[in-house]
Amino acid sequence: MISVRDLSYAFKIGKKEKENVIPVLHHVDLHVAEGEIVAIIGRSGSGKSTLLNLISGYIKSQTGDIVINGKQVSKLSESKWAEFRLEHLGFIFQSFQLIPSMTAYENVELPLVLKGVSEKDRKDQTLRMLKRVGLDQYQSHYPGELSGGQQQRVSIARALILNPPLILADEPTGSLDSENERELLNFIKELNEKDGITFLIITHDHEVASIAHRKVEIRDGYLREGSMLYEVQR
Amino acid sequence: MKFKDKHRFVKSNMKRNKTRVWMTILASTMGCAFLIMLASVGFAIHKTAIDDVMSYRLMNEIEIQKENGPLVEKDVKNLEKIKNVKAVSRKKYVPASEMSLGEYTVYAEVNSANIPSERKAGLQLEKGRMPKSKNEVIIGHHFAQELRKEMPENFTEGMSEEEAQKKMKELAYDRDLLNQTLTYHMKVDQPESKTDAEIKTVQVKVVGIKEKPKKEWMIDSSVLITDDLRDEIMPLLSEMDPELKNNDDSYSSVKVYTSSAEDVKAVSEKIKDKGYLTYSVVSELKELNIYFTLFKAGLIFIGGIAVLIASIGIFNTMTMAVTERSQDIGIMKAIGATPKTIKRIFLLESGYIGLWGVGLGTLLAYLISYGVNFALPIIVEQFMNEKPPEDFILSYIPWSLTAIAVTICMSVTLLSGWRPAAKATTVDVLKALRRDV
Ligand SMILES: Nc1ncnc2c1ncn2[C@@H]1O[C@H](COP(=O)(O)OP(=O)(O)O)[C@@H](O)[C@H]1O
Ligand SMILES: [Mg+2]
Repeated sequence: MISVRDLSYAFKIGKKEKENVIPVLHHVDLHVAEGEIVAIIGRSGSGKSTLLNLISGYIKSQTGDIVINGKQVSKLSESKWAEFRLEHLGFIFQSFQLIPSMTAYENVELPLVLKGVSEKDRKDQTLRMLKRVGLDQYQSHYPGELSGGQQQRVSIARALILNPPLILADEPTGSLDSENERELLNFIKELNEKDGITFLIITHDHEVASIAHRKVEIRDGYLREGSMLYEVQR
Repeated sequence: MKFKDKHRFVKSNMKRNKTRVWMTILASTMGCAFLIMLASVGFAIHKTAIDDVMSYRLMNEIEIQKENGPLVEKDVKNLEKIKNVKAVSRKKYVPASEMSLGEYTVYAEVNSANIPSERKAGLQLEKGRMPKSKNEVIIGHHFAQELRKEMPENFTEGMSEEEAQKKMKELAYDRDLLNQTLTYHMKVDQPESKTDAEIKTVQVKVVGIKEKPKKEWMIDSSVLITDDLRDEIMPLLSEMDPELKNNDDSYSSVKVYTSSAEDVKAVSEKIKDKGYLTYSVVSELKELNIYFTLFKAGLIFIGGIAVLIASIGIFNTMTMAVTERSQDIGIMKAIGATPKTIKRIFLLESGYIGLWGVGLGTLLAYLISYGVNFALPIIVEQFMNEKPPEDFILSYIPWSLTAIAVTICMSVTLLSGWRPAAKATTVDVLKALRRDV
């Protein structure tokens, strides 16, 4: 499902002459099979988010290869990347990233709107998805009128609405209390088992890591899959 | 993303900042209305000028003159031979001008004409027919009102202009002149002319009355006699003024009529090649059009500056909209909105602002234009005690002007919305997700 090969990344800070290069990822290799839940763990600042942002296409690396779902994405143009993202990837963020001026319904509907789905079909799918995450009573609420757990469910509904085969999540439980966290983890498990959705989850939480099939650790920008040192079999 | 959805999206965005959006629309409205109003004055003057030229001349008429001296019979024959010439109207001035009917007298402009060619040229009669025999004449529409009883000395003294005109009217002949016989006095304006008793007279019969001139202010009290009658009376007149003999064969006016207005240009060229001077409405209109087109372009240019100023408002509004919404933009990009979609959304928003501005501006311009044309004559009459000319307009907005204004306003709007929209596409996803924009 995901195949990352020899990926390195460095942030460049400052103006031309006084440019400061901060290397963050070094020759990273990562393979995620279809139907897997993979957790990336590691200390804060170790480069987890950077790796996920590269896989999401939010930043680009000059070196290395990323192949998702059989598509070589590392060389895609910005608009091609956007189209690919919409079709193949679902995103769950730590801070939900809902559009505050849109209702729960409109937020969930947004990917369908962007894809150009007709209004009638949209209504059907959106209502079904809201029901699935248990928010059918809250469809006309704005994000500000929902609890953290509810907001995260809206964002999951949005991530699922176009049936992506892969969901990328950067610390999805980071803003949730333990009850909501457990609920979310159960839901992820259910989605993985019933719908066969592949998950790549960043976390520093052991609870989260416990539902993963595999854990991969990044330390100071180094990750070597299969190495006994960094890969912990379930 | 479907257009309908973009439309809805933009609409809800615009609603969130109603005041700002309306202020921007107001600025565009004013810019657009100013542009149209300013240019409409140019269009009005142009229209008035053209209407004016066309209303008292025929499109297919060419006036002919020669550089050295008047035209004679030989010239007319020459002109008649040219292709597409329908008729050559030629008139000779007759120096005797006094005619009378009982106690009524008139001093009219008398010309003799070749009747068949006048008929071919399309002389329009209001009543009666063209002359068939020597002593039959055609009179102008206003001939009757100039035919008056003799006025007492200092008749109009101490009267206001209106009163005087009214009194004069009372003295004028008020019956139908058709088929009346007038007495034509063989008298020329010479100091040593003979006494009244010696003056011979000729009886002429009115067989036709010409149509009223198209222009309200034009007075036609002229008389057209046959060439035969002129030949008969000229010897009588030359007796009084021997100089008249010298230019007996020269025409005072020669006009060529073409079959259609399209032929005027080609025929004019041919006539010029033969060494004559020509003058036609078509040639006058051409110069007039060039002049006024430049004038109107200048006005549109000045009006365009107002539109440009309004566009700064649109630029500001859109830049603010993009800044305010960069988080939303970032989220949309993060889940898969293409830069094209983002750009279109913002272009659409500026387009709507422009469209509202243009729509309201055009409407406003039409209202002002109508109001000005309606009110100005009244104001002029009130304060200057003078009637403005008939069908006077200060502002005229033809469709072409509306189209030009809409094109200019919309192009400027889209241009000013372009940069903010392009800026929206460059919003950094990660910065937006970190709430760092
Ligand atoms: N935009 C940025 N500019 C410069 N350095 C950055 C930027 N984002 C992250 N970094 C640096 O890259 C390293 C890895 O960051 P990140 O991937 O966010 O770590 P994690 O998600 O594992 O906590 C950190 O040392 C951080 O300081
Ligand atoms: Mg992180």
